[in-house]
Amino acid sequence: MKQRIAGFLFDWLVGAYLAVMLHRIVWQELLLGVDSALSSAPSNSGAVIAGIPVWLVYGAVGLVLAIAASISKVSIALLVQGKLERTMWQRTAALHIASLLLSLTFITGWVVTKISLVDMFSGERLRAAGRIFSNLLQPEFAILPQALSAIVETVYLAFMATVLALPASFVLAFLSARNLMRGNVWTRATYTFLRALTNFTRSIEPLVWAVIFTVWVKVGPFPGMLALMVHTISSLAKQYSEQIEDIDPGPMEAIASTGARPLQIVWFGVVPQVFIPFLSFTIYRWDINVRMATVIGLVGGGGIGTMLNQYQMLAQWREVGLIVLVIALVVWAMDYISARIREALA
Amino acid sequence: MMLLDIRSLSKTYPNGTQALKSVSFTVERGEFVAVIGLSGSGKSTLLRCINRLIEPSSGTILFDGQDVTHIKGEALRHYRQRIGMIFQQFNLIGQASVLKNVLMGALGSVSTIDSILGRFPQSLHEMALRNLQIVGIADKASERADSLSGGQQQRVAIARALMQEPQLLLADEPVASLDPATSHSVMRYLGYINRQLGTTIICNLHFLSLVREYASRAIALRNGEIVFDGSPSEITEEWFRHIYGEDAVEVEIR
Repeated sequence: MKQRIAGFLFDWLVGAYLAVMLHRIVWQELLLGVDSALSSAPSNSGAVIAGIPVWLVYGAVGLVLAIAASISKVSIALLVQGKLERTMWQRTAALHIASLLLSLTFITGWVVTKISLVDMFSGERLRAAGRIFSNLLQPEFAILPQALSAIVETVYLAFMATVLALPASFVLAFLSARNLMRGNVWTRATYTFLRALTNFTRSIEPLVWAVIFTVWVKVGPFPGMLALMVHTISSLAKQYSEQIEDIDPGPMEAIASTGARPLQIVWFGVVPQVFIPFLSFTIYRWDINVRMATVIGLVGGGGIGTMLNQYQMLAQWREVGLIVLVIALVVWAMDYISARIREALA
Repeated sequence: MMLLDIRSLSKTYPNGTQALKSVSFTVERGEFVAVIGLSGSGKSTLLRCINRLIEPSSGTILFDGQDVTHIKGEALRHYRQRIGMIFQQFNLIGQASVLKNVLMGALGSVSTIDSILGRFPQSLHEMALRNLQIVGIADKASERADSLSGGQQQRVAIARALMQEPQLLLADEPVASLDPATSHSVMRYLGYINRQLGTTIICNLHFLSLVREYASRAIALRNGEIVFDGSPSEITEEWFRHIYGEDAVEVEIR
C-alpha cells in the first residue's frame, strides 16, 4: 500500500515535470521562440492560462497523467519498482516514455544552459581566447615573492583549519558511530541527532561558510580558516565514524568482558584499530583543504585565492598566469606528499 | 560448592531466532565443563549470557548465590571482573604489545584516567609478567601482539583473563582457529589453570576427543536445548548421533 502511494506520487511528479517541459521548453521556447521562458521563472510563474495560475495547470496535468498511468499500468513508478514483467506491453510503453523524458531533459538542459557554439568559435571570440591564453602562458615573475608568501598563508590556513577541527571531529566521530551508540534510547537519540547535524553542516559548501564568516569576522585568512574548519569538522567526523563502524568488534567484546568501564572499552578496544586510518584521513583532509582554501580566497578568505581575485578584477592576466602556476605546483606537491605519507602509513 | 546456577534460561534474538530454550544446569566450583553441539546450537549465546555480553530474554542466572540476571552499571562491571573470557579469534589488540594486552585484563581495577595515561601500578606489571610465565611466553612481553602465532596469541589471551583472578573462565571455541598440535598446547594450559589455580572453566568445543581428554563434564546443546549432561566418557556413538545428527561422523584430533 505504502509502495503504491509512493508510486502514484512519483508518477504525479513525473507527469507534472513532463507538462512543464512540454509547455515551457517545447511550446514556448522552441516553437514560439519566447526567450528564456524557464530562466526568467519568477515573472513566468505568475502567468495564468485561461485565468488559472500556470503551476496549478502543471499540477493538474500531472495528476491526470498519474491517474491514467495507474489505470493503464503504463507507469514510470511501476517500471522503477520492477513490477512490470518483461512480457508486458506496458513495460515497452513505459520504457519509451522514460526515454522521451530523458531526451526532453537533455533538450531542456541545452536550452537552459544557453549552449552556443557561435559564442565559442566565432572569429572575435577566438581572438579573445588567444589574448588570455597568450598572457596566461607568459607569467609575470615579478610578483613571485608576493605569490609565494600568499600561498604559504594558504597552506598554513588549511593546516590550522585541519588541526583545530581535529578534537571536535574525534569526539563527534565516536558519538555518531552506530555500533558504539546502540546502548539505550538516549545514546541512539544522540547518534541520530549528531548524524543529522554533521550531514547538514557538511552539505553546506565551504564557500558558503566563507561568505558567512567574512561578514562575521571581516575579510582575511581568519574567516577562510573558520569556514574550512567547520567543513572539516563534519567531513572528518563522518569519515572517522564510518571507520569506527567498520572495526572488528572482537577486541571491544574482549575488553568489555574484563569488566572495563565504557570509556576504557572505547579507548582500548576501538582507538588502536582506527588510529592509523584516522591519521591517513587527516593528512588527506589537509591536502583537500589546501585546494579548497584557494577557492575560498576568491570570496575574501585570504591567501593566494584573494590575490588571484584582485589581479583577475584588474584584468592583469600575466600576473594571474603566475598565480595559477604557483597554485598548480603547490597543489601537485601537496597531493604527491600526502599520497606518499598515506602509502607509508598503510 | 555450587558456583553457577542457570535456571530456564532463554534467548530469542530480535530476528526471531530462538538460540536458547529454557536451559537449566548448575556448575560446581572446580569443574571443567565442555559445552558441545553443532554450530548454531546456542553454545556461544550461552557463554555470552553468563557474563551478560548478551542479554537473556528470560530465566535466571545465579552466580555464587547472587542473582546477576538483571544487574547493571557498576554491579555488572564488578560481576564481569570475576569472570574471565577467551575467544576463538583471540581478540587481542594487535597494535599493542603483549604486556599491554595482558594489563588490559586488569582495566576494571584501574581508574579510567590512569589506564588511558598508561599508569598501571607496579604490582599489576609484576602480575602480568607472572601470568605470561604461566602460559610460557614471558619472553614475548614487549613484542607486538599481532606478530605472534595463533597459539601464542591465545596464550596471551589466557594471561589477560588471569589478570582478573577469575572464579570462572569462559572459553568460546578457544582452539577452533588453531592446528591440532597447538590446540593441545592451549588446552593443556586451560587444564593446568583448572587444576592448579582451581579456576572453574566452561569451554565450548567442537572436537569430542578434546572433550574426553580435558573436560570433567560435558553438556550438549541441540537447537538451543540441553540434550546431554554427564561425563564425557558416557558419550557413546548413539549419543553422538543424537547430538550431532544422523549423518555425523566423529573426527578425532590427536
